[in-house]
Amino acid sequence: MASTACFMIVSKNDIPIYEAEVGAAPRKEEAAHQHQFILHAALDIVQDLAWTTSAMFLKGIDRFNDLVVSVYVTAGLHTRLMLLHDSRNDDGIKSFFQEVHELYIKTLLNPLYLPGSRITSSHFDTKVRALARKYL
Amino acid sequence: MADPASSNLGRMLTDEITPVVMVLRTPLVEEATRKNGLSFIELLNPFCAFNNIDVPVRTASDQPYRLQKFKLRLFYASDIAQPNIEVAKVRIKQVITRAGEKDFPEVSSNPLAIETVLGATQHKVLPSWFQVFNQELVHTVSFAEHEAFDHPVACLLAVSSKDEESISKFVDLFNTNQLPSLINDGAMDPKILKHFVVVHDNQDGMPDRATKVLTEMRNTFGANNCRLLCINSSRDGSVERQENPWASCKSDGSQFQQLGCFLSLDDVDELKNSMQDLSSKHIIPYMEQKIRVLNQQVSATRKGFRNQIKNLWWRKGKEDVPDNPNGPTYTFNSVEFQIRVLGDYAFMLRDYELALSNYRLLSTDYKLDKAWKHYAGVQEMMGLTYFMLDQSRKDAEYCMENAFSTYLKLGSSGHRNATRCGLWWVEILKARDQHKDAASVYFRISGEEPLHSAVMLEQASYCYLFSTPPLLRKYGFHLVLAGDLYKKCDQVKHAIRTYRGALSVFKGTTWNHIKDQVHFHIGKWYAFLGMSDVAIEHMLEILACGHQSKSTQELFLRDFFQVVQNTGKTFDVLKLQLPVINVNSVKVVFEDHRTYASETATSVKEGFWHSFEEDMIPLLSSMRSNWLESHGKNFTQKYKESNICVAGEVIRVHVELKNPLQIPISVSNVSLICEHSSGSDETNPDLNSSIDNDQLRKLAINGKIGAEASSFLSGEIDLRLGAGETVVAQLSVIANIEGTLEIVGVRWKLSGSVSGFCKFDSDILKKKFARGKRKSKKSSGNYLKFLVIKSLPKLEGFVHHLPETVYAGDMRRLSLELRNPSNTPLKNLKMKVSHPRFLNIGDQDVMEMEFPSCLEKKRSSAEVYVPVKTCKARTVFSFPEDMVICGDSTCLWPLYLRAAAPGNHSLYITIYYEVGDASSIMRYRVLRMHYNLEVLPSLDVSFQISSHPSRLQEFLGRMDVINRTSSESFQVHQLSSVGNEWEISLLQPMDTVFPADFLMAGQALSCFFKLKNCRKWVNAEDNPSSLVPSEKADIRLVCGNGEALFDTSRLPLVDFHHYERLHQGISDQDHQTTVDFILISQSQSDDKSGINIFSHHACDCSVGSSSPIWWLIEGPGTVTHNFAVDFCEIKLKMFIHNSSDVTASVHISTFDSAPTIDSLSTGASVSSANEAGWRDLSVLNDIKVTSDAVGNHSGKLLSPASVSPFIWSGSSSNRVTLEPLSSTEIALQICVFSPGTYDVSNYSLHWSLFGSGDEDDKETGLRLSSGTCEGHSYYLTVLQQG
Repeated sequence: MASTACFMIVSKNDIPIYEAEVGAAPRKEEAAHQHQFILHAALDIVQDLAWTTSAMFLKGIDRFNDLVVSVYVTAGLHTRLMLLHDSRNDDGIKSFFQEVHELYIKTLLNPLYLPGSRITSSHFDTKVRALARKYL
Repeated sequence: MADPASSNLGRMLTDEITPVVMVLRTPLVEEATRKNGLSFIELLNPFCAFNNIDVPVRTASDQPYRLQKFKLRLFYASDIAQPNIEVAKVRIKQVITRAGEKDFPEVSSNPLAIETVLGATQHKVLPSWFQVFNQELVHTVSFAEHEAFDHPVACLLAVSSKDEESISKFVDLFNTNQLPSLINDGAMDPKILKHFVVVHDNQDGMPDRATKVLTEMRNTFGANNCRLLCINSSRDGSVERQENPWASCKSDGSQFQQLGCFLSLDDVDELKNSMQDLSSKHIIPYMEQKIRVLNQQVSATRKGFRNQIKNLWWRKGKEDVPDNPNGPTYTFNSVEFQIRVLGDYAFMLRDYELALSNYRLLSTDYKLDKAWKHYAGVQEMMGLTYFMLDQSRKDAEYCMENAFSTYLKLGSSGHRNATRCGLWWVEILKARDQHKDAASVYFRISGEEPLHSAVMLEQASYCYLFSTPPLLRKYGFHLVLAGDLYKKCDQVKHAIRTYRGALSVFKGTTWNHIKDQVHFHIGKWYAFLGMSDVAIEHMLEILACGHQSKSTQELFLRDFFQVVQNTGKTFDVLKLQLPVINVNSVKVVFEDHRTYASETATSVKEGFWHSFEEDMIPLLSSMRSNWLESHGKNFTQKYKESNICVAGEVIRVHVELKNPLQIPISVSNVSLICEHSSGSDETNPDLNSSIDNDQLRKLAINGKIGAEASSFLSGEIDLRLGAGETVVAQLSVIANIEGTLEIVGVRWKLSGSVSGFCKFDSDILKKKFARGKRKSKKSSGNYLKFLVIKSLPKLEGFVHHLPETVYAGDMRRLSLELRNPSNTPLKNLKMKVSHPRFLNIGDQDVMEMEFPSCLEKKRSSAEVYVPVKTCKARTVFSFPEDMVICGDSTCLWPLYLRAAAPGNHSLYITIYYEVGDASSIMRYRVLRMHYNLEVLPSLDVSFQISSHPSRLQEFLGRMDVINRTSSESFQVHQLSSVGNEWEISLLQPMDTVFPADFLMAGQALSCFFKLKNCRKWVNAEDNPSSLVPSEKADIRLVCGNGEALFDTSRLPLVDFHHYERLHQGISDQDHQTTVDFILISQSQSDDKSGINIFSHHACDCSVGSSSPIWWLIEGPGTVTHNFAVDFCEIKLKMFIHNSSDVTASVHISTFDSAPTIDSLSTGASVSSANEAGWRDLSVLNDIKVTSDAVGNHSGKLLSPASVSPFIWSGSSSNRVTLEPLSSTEIALQICVFSPGTYDVSNYSLHWSLFGSGDEDDKETGLRLSSGTCEGHSYYLTVLQQG
């Protein structure tokens, strides 16, 4: 498992709807905003890159020092699953994204969930963290 | 792309990579120029740049071209050395600090909107000092030994005409110990072009001496290389110029007028001419010449196939040379260095092709030699040459990249070179609009030095901004990174500037950590600079940081309050985020015609009250007594539009305050902001509906001061919100004067220092209310706007002593207190109670009596018994007309409470009253009261009744009582049958059945009693209920006497019994076969009121048979007979009783077949079916055993072997007619032929009732009018005599 990893789901208009620090390293206070900054800045790259390829999984599109940003763009291009990581386990990250995407779709199917709103389901959170332990 | 030379980098290169002229002068020269406030170089500098020099040059291959732009760089010999790093650093820091002061943004100006930033041109947005900074950085690595373009091309020797022995001075000047180390070390060719100048100060007299020196020089150094320069021709020092050419060389403020004040126009012309002469006639030809010579040398040694092979061979042989980290040193006469000089000279003379070919040649050599620094330098120049040639972009980038990484590989020594190389590289990329790549190069340049990195990062951020499409988020991110570094180097102003730039990107972002970071730091930095107002403005944004960790929250709050304290004043903040006000939760409780006695009453749905009060309240249409009433229409119109409240009465607003933090906060002075306008403001209703923020602020402050305190009074409360707590604050406002009152918002004070206010958005509220079903018709109005009408009397009501928790059956008397503080009398008071089963309205006269003793039966029969009629239709109780409630007097009215059933119950009481004053728009008001009552189970009472086996009209009953409470003890006091038809008597005295006084928790009690029907036929005109109640309807169950029995026919008990029956769905009519019991018990002792009375009502206990005809067979139980003589005849008697109110005809038919088992079993099932009201009580096991024993007994008798036939010998069919409530007797006879035990039950009774009166027509349809009954079991044993 990667020592540092920050996972985020960003919906339309760049609004984060889910975030989780899934790294094994003890959580640092000052890192939280740094991770957000890096992921936020990486959206600029995603914006360009997403139109140039048909692949959903864009690996290592941006980096900051030793932290790499990988992104999984959903079909609508509105929702982006973003992972900031320092490991190089591309296959694991890809599987992680695919499974989380599936989870996200299940969340979307919930009639009480308003698309684009924050995902507050604790079940979703538990599942994502379990997947992170499994794949990252 | 346009001409590379005209690009930013192109200009930079034509400025920077130009021939250097080394200047050597005597102190007297310097003295002469100082008069103008300038050094010698400063004096010459403005005339060293030529934009249109137009010198013909030939390339090495004799291609002619003309050089248009040219520039010389003049340096003193002492300055031609690698600059001191520390000094350079200090200078760079100065540049930055100065820029920070200059560029510091105005506090008042908001950060630019990102659209504005994007729309502006690059030069407008890009801070101009970047250029200066970059230049300074580049200069830190000038005069490097591995590069030739900083090596002096010529030497300018200046001697003053005042100097003695000028010629020897010239010789002395070019002395080795004064020359720069570059020449002395042998890195540079000391044989350079020399130019000799005599400087003459015209203030010192005529230039005779100078010309003399000049001729002398011409003889010594050659005619061409000498020159006379006359300055300071203007004597008075007041030369005025349009444009001072020296203005740019002195930036730090010394006055421009003084610069060059002694230089006349002739002097300036002379300066200009001499410099042009120097460059065009001496330096350029010299360089051209040198290029030619060098090129020939290089061609001879290195060009051509043979030379290349030789070179390669030779280089390979050198491979065993140990690796020097700086590479081998090359002196000026080494071939490599000559190639380098050739390349650089060619570059300076814009012969880029030649330069490039030489650089290429050289780079392979250096690479083979592993002279990495030289290699990187050459690569760098190659990149620049490629750029200037504007071909092969890839190569340019490749070379720069190569040079950059090679420099970096050298370690710290190469770092500054790498920086310069990076800056040039960036410029190359920028010139080609590859801003994104440029940004990443900037990012790479930023190294150890934090201050330099900060500037680099900031420049990188601008690159992101200018790239297409703009990468705004990257821009913001890099600005923040730069800001952090600035802060690290104490450049707070720069830090604020960058963060403010970032703010334009991050404004309104939902990335909460980012937002907090930016605002918190800006706020802190502004506070550091002492600009508290702005600091607080930013800090306010981060207060609601519930997503942060606790320590961060504490940090934020602590810093915030520190800043606030430092200012020493309180702030009014429009959008204070702490605590979070849930505007949607705002609930307004006000009283118009509906008034509420308590908080809980307000929370009951309006719809409930509406339907509950329907039959009390007059319809709106009937309110108006006639159509001529003038103001009626007007007021109803108003009434519909806005809410009405009465002056002097409280309007309550419930607002939800939430603390999103994990640390407690204290909120004080929470109160409502209101606006009151007296009189009619209907002319401009729009004005009030849209209060903008400034007005709100004004209102909030005004309200605080209390300027309008007279017109309304707004209550203040203090709260303390724990971590994550949500509190509903109940705010109130009282309008004192008629007019219009609008509740605008709420204000509060956080931690006593920051006051916030929040506007209730009426649009949101409107939407919310409009969704509610009941208010749909009012949706157009503003729900926070009230029409204040003049004060009206208001009835206040309170039920005293109403407990919250009682045990089931508890019966109490409560008093309802009614008060009317005003002096206006109220009329037409009516009251309605929602649950008459629980609450009953008493008569006022019982108030004086003592409860419960007033319920006791009077021993003296002197008091005439007045039968009480149960008032069935008493849903609305009207108070007597003569009751006056006004002023200070209060009125107490009795209410009876009986906890009828366990569970939670809501009791509602509404009192309707009319206001005496007819002029008011409100004719009536209602007072609503609501109480919650929790009823716990106490005693379970059940009854079983079966008919007496040997007596007609008598029944045996069993009562089981179990105490269901957990701790309470009860004293079972009395059992009464309702009505006067039944007499109860105990089978055993109570003290044998249950010797203890109290029934403890969980304890059960069962007792047997006898029930006798004592209904007598009376005349039809007599009302059966007017019978004197029999004394025997009640039995005392308590041991000992002394205590009086309670009269169950008194008012509250009767009423409660009535409602109990009503609740159970039993009509009042049918009393014939059912009994109603009331068990009265007392609780052991309640510390407050002595004795509590509990009444338990068991209704409609069936007495065992459903038919109105009761009968009984009587006869001997055992007969001894000698069957040897004859058969035995046994006489039996049957008593029949008609318990109904009508005449009945009974037909008895006997049949001789043996009784079937079936009939017996059905009989058993009937008896079990009669056990209605029985519950399965585990504690009653012993009782069950006894009943089983009875069954066994009968079963034993019924062994089929013992059954032998008998025949009925009397008349086989009897028909009798029975009057109502009368009995008769019929004789029966059977014949038995053998001894044995017989069950004489093989007969049946057919009965039918004659409808006696028409008043019961409906009832008879419901009741059984006829039926057939199987015979009761009657066992007879016949024994053989003898």
